[in-house]
Amino acid sequence: MSSDLTLYHWEPNANSGKPMLTLVEKGVSFNSHYIDLLAFDQHKPDYLAINPMGTIPAMTHGSRLLNESTAMMEYVEEAFPGPAMMPDDPVDRWRVRWWMKFLDQWLCPSFSMIGWSIFIGPQVRARDPRELEAAIERIPLPERRIAWRKAIYGLFSAEELAESRRRVDLGIGMLEDALAKREYLGSNQYSLADINLFNSAYGLPSQQPDDVNDEKTPNIMRWLRSVARRPAVKQTWTYSRVPRFAERILPLIEEATA
Amino acid sequence: MTTLFLYHGEPTGPSLTVLAALFESGLAADLLHIDLAMAQRHAGEVPLGFEANYSVEGEGPVLVVDGEPTVDSVFIGCLLDDLAPQSGLRPTDPYLRWEMMAWCRWMIERLAPGAAALANIAWTTPRLAALDDAEFEGLVAPIEADDLRDRWRQTRAGLLSDDHRKASEARVHEATKKIDDRLADRDWIMGDFSLADLESYAWVAPMRDLIPAAFEGKPRLAAWLERVKTRPSVARALAQAQKPEPAHGFAPGPEINRWG
Ligand SMILES: N[C@@H](CCC(=O)N[C@@H](CS)C(=O)NCC(=O)O)C(=O)O
Repeated sequence: MSSDLTLYHWEPNANSGKPMLTLVEKGVSFNSHYIDLLAFDQHKPDYLAINPMGTIPAMTHGSRLLNESTAMMEYVEEAFPGPAMMPDDPVDRWRVRWWMKFLDQWLCPSFSMIGWSIFIGPQVRARDPRELEAAIERIPLPERRIAWRKAIYGLFSAEELAESRRRVDLGIGMLEDALAKREYLGSNQYSLADINLFNSAYGLPSQQPDDVNDEKTPNIMRWLRSVARRPAVKQTWTYSRVPRFAERILPLIEEATA
Repeated sequence: MTTLFLYHGEPTGPSLTVLAALFESGLAADLLHIDLAMAQRHAGEVPLGFEANYSVEGEGPVLVVDGEPTVDSVFIGCLLDDLAPQSGLRPTDPYLRWEMMAWCRWMIERLAPGAAALANIAWTTPRLAALDDAEFEGLVAPIEADDLRDRWRQTRAGLLSDDHRKASEARVHEATKKIDDRLADRDWIMGDFSLADLESYAWVAPMRDLIPAAFEGKPRLAAWLERVKTRPSVARALAQAQKPEPAHGFAPGPEINRWG
């Protein structure tokens, strides 16, 4: 624990996995600090003192704070030596950034809404109602408060869940097309856009086997395996503490590396 | 030699950011003015690829770089900076860059959806409502993204829930305070002028006509608004206006966050 870089993260997937995989890919050593999202660690005073937004992940580099996972990835890319995680060509760089925004704001929120309604909400729902209300009240960002309320009390409307499912279905087709055009998501080289996507998409073949498989989406499957094969991916999963998540990805890693 | 064509709307919102960023970069481009609020972006003459059709920003400018249509103002700004690294659009220090990108993300993710909704209801709804149904449907029929087309329909119908209106107005207050606070020890958002000033100005300045209370008692904000407006790149962008109230030239923008 000698590094001046500390990553505050939950499971090595979704937003937490983005800066973590970038750090590991670049060979940057960091202190890992696990924040248990299901225990609402991210809204506790200790953590809010570090990241007032109350979102995971956050990173401190010396005395400097960084949040916003995608912007953190670009920081890691620019501040440290190691293999380049951004292409050189300006238009390729633009496309990588475009995809990350599209994932962050259009596609992944739909994955999240479905995941939260199926998994996160039911996980915490059984707790003491007063404790839950107090936990919700402590959330700094109003949007996050609304999302938690909906997840905990099962208040996602049928329309919004249907819209999320529509986006996931459409998104799968978009990803297949993009990966048919180029070897990786934003360009022909592995980049931050692939790190971003992989962290949210590795579960697709196991969660939606009828939609994502070798016949229907050969390019997504090829791409998933080529990312899963990277040693850095396996290394990030040593930070996992929730078996349910690791169980989803480890078979893919094993199959890809076999 | 890179060839650039910029299809842009009135100098407000994303079109203002991109026009001014282009002028800051010193790169040469052909400028093509289109009426974004009449869905001219979808009328056939503007090249749109997959990314343009599904731009999270909604109806913004399209910069065609060597034949490839690029969209989303902050990322076009980064692209211009990558093409002209001396432009000063982004700081060079990685931490300052992070800070600038985090700032811009706040503007485009937290402020812009609300500001766009308020601006559209005020200024775009009357223009669209004046069209007859067939004419309007003809304009939006070629739009590829269903959710964007829905935002057009909602804009025409003038739909904005009370909750969304309140949250949007609160965001404008939050944005003006954020900028005023930030300027306590500096003239520009990042210390030196950057893309963050353009992106913030482009979304905040038009709100003066709609939510004047958010601007009251903020002298640093007022001085900054004047400073940005008179910067040569911005003045030149504003001179591209074709309508008497260019600040009102909005078109359906980013959606109000469905998640967090
Ligand atoms: N835009 C932020 C979003 C971060 C975020 O919302 N993270 C989720 C976990 S993936 C979170 O903190 N959820 C816990 C909460 O909202 O309480 C980023 O990219 O870092």
